[in-house]
Amino acid sequence: MARITPTPGQKILYFLLVSLGIGILYVDINTNSFQEIKHGYKSLKISSVYILKNISIEPVRRVLNLTKSKKTLLEENKNLKKALDASYLNNYLISRENSFYKDDNILKYPLLDDDFKANYSLAKLKDLDPNIFKCCDKHRMYIELFSNSKEQSNLESVVFNKSGIIGQITNDGNYLEVILLTDVSHSIPIKSISDTFFCNAKGSGRANIIICSYNPLIWDEEILLTKTFYTSGLGGIFPRNIKIGNVINILDISPNLREIEIALSANPLDDEIFGVFKN
Amino acid sequence: MKDMVKKTIFLMVMSYIEINIAATLSNFFIIFPITFLGYSFYVYRTNSNANPIEAFLFGLLVDLIHGSYFGLNATLFCLITYLINSYSNAFKIFSYLQVCLFFGLSATAYVGFTQLVLNIYNFSYITLLVSSFFNIIFCILVAVFTSYFPKISRLKI
Repeated sequence: MARITPTPGQKILYFLLVSLGIGILYVDINTNSFQEIKHGYKSLKISSVYILKNISIEPVRRVLNLTKSKKTLLEENKNLKKALDASYLNNYLISRENSFYKDDNILKYPLLDDDFKANYSLAKLKDLDPNIFKCCDKHRMYIELFSNSKEQSNLESVVFNKSGIIGQITNDGNYLEVILLTDVSHSIPIKSISDTFFCNAKGSGRANIIICSYNPLIWDEEILLTKTFYTSGLGGIFPRNIKIGNVINILDISPNLREIEIALSANPLDDEIFGVFKN
Repeated sequence: MKDMVKKTIFLMVMSYIEINIAATLSNFFIIFPITFLGYSFYVYRTNSNANPIEAFLFGLLVDLIHGSYFGLNATLFCLITYLINSYSNAFKIFSYLQVCLFFGLSATAYVGFTQLVLNIYNFSYITLLVSSFFNIIFCILVAVFTSYFPKISRLKI
């Protein structure tokens, strides 16, 4: 269909509008009379964009940020928890209440390496069945080192938590298998503070209890309840003079056999983070 | 009314695109008046003659959106509407290339006029020349596109 070319009337209208346009243009260039309208439009545009953004994008962004910040917070919390646990272990090592500081070997390492943390590795708990720990003879725990360095064997390394020694590593596969002091097949050489009584304390198979059997005819030191026992260091595994626990029960089995039950000061169920001394 | 709203939104979208690509294209001495070309294309494709008042008002709207002096786009939109309406029947015997040249050169004229008004102290012939080539090529590409994809090109605004 053919389109009609502009009629004379339309041409006049065009002419008038073009003239009006030029007139407005001239006025605007010379007087800036329309600045208010332009500013009004710009402010309207900015406000509209702001409102639209607030309605549409911001809620989504806020939710995303919330998730993101929550994730970051959780990660930070995890790291802080790790650092806190490590500081507990450090505190345990340097505390004067336990006797780690008395052991010359322990004190030498930081001086030689100039890095106290390098003397032990941090590990996290992977598996420990509390039911078996409470009931049965075999007390084992599995831990994993934070730093998966395979350069050094961890076999027979001492494992401790913030309260004290809990066992030693018997198998360093993917996870480190720890035999706890309470395992019936485990034995730890202990002594009294006076250095006049020594014995090998065996695991009882009960939670937190080890049993020291000795002949009272040979060892004449009087053992009383609540007496504190320490590692003697004679086995070559555990450092000397580390507090192990207190006597809670004394059983006279026969005239030449007496058993003392010692409650350990460290409970493996208390923590998820452990220290593993490097060999 | 619905038609007017559609056209207004179309022009606003075109203006938005133009404003956003202007900075990038200016690095290559190109001014690409896509709003003007879009409006010209609409007037060209429409079956009836576009109203001059409508052209004037749309021009004012584009002035407002672009932040240019009032009356600049209004005048140029009126002029292009008049030209297209005047030659609407003549276009039918034009080849695609001629039509493309017409729109490309119209866009160049638009660029020239706007530069004269808005940027007189830094008027650049290189920009004008490069823009001219770019706009003509763009128009040719649109023509080629409409030839190969007629279904899409028949869509009404």
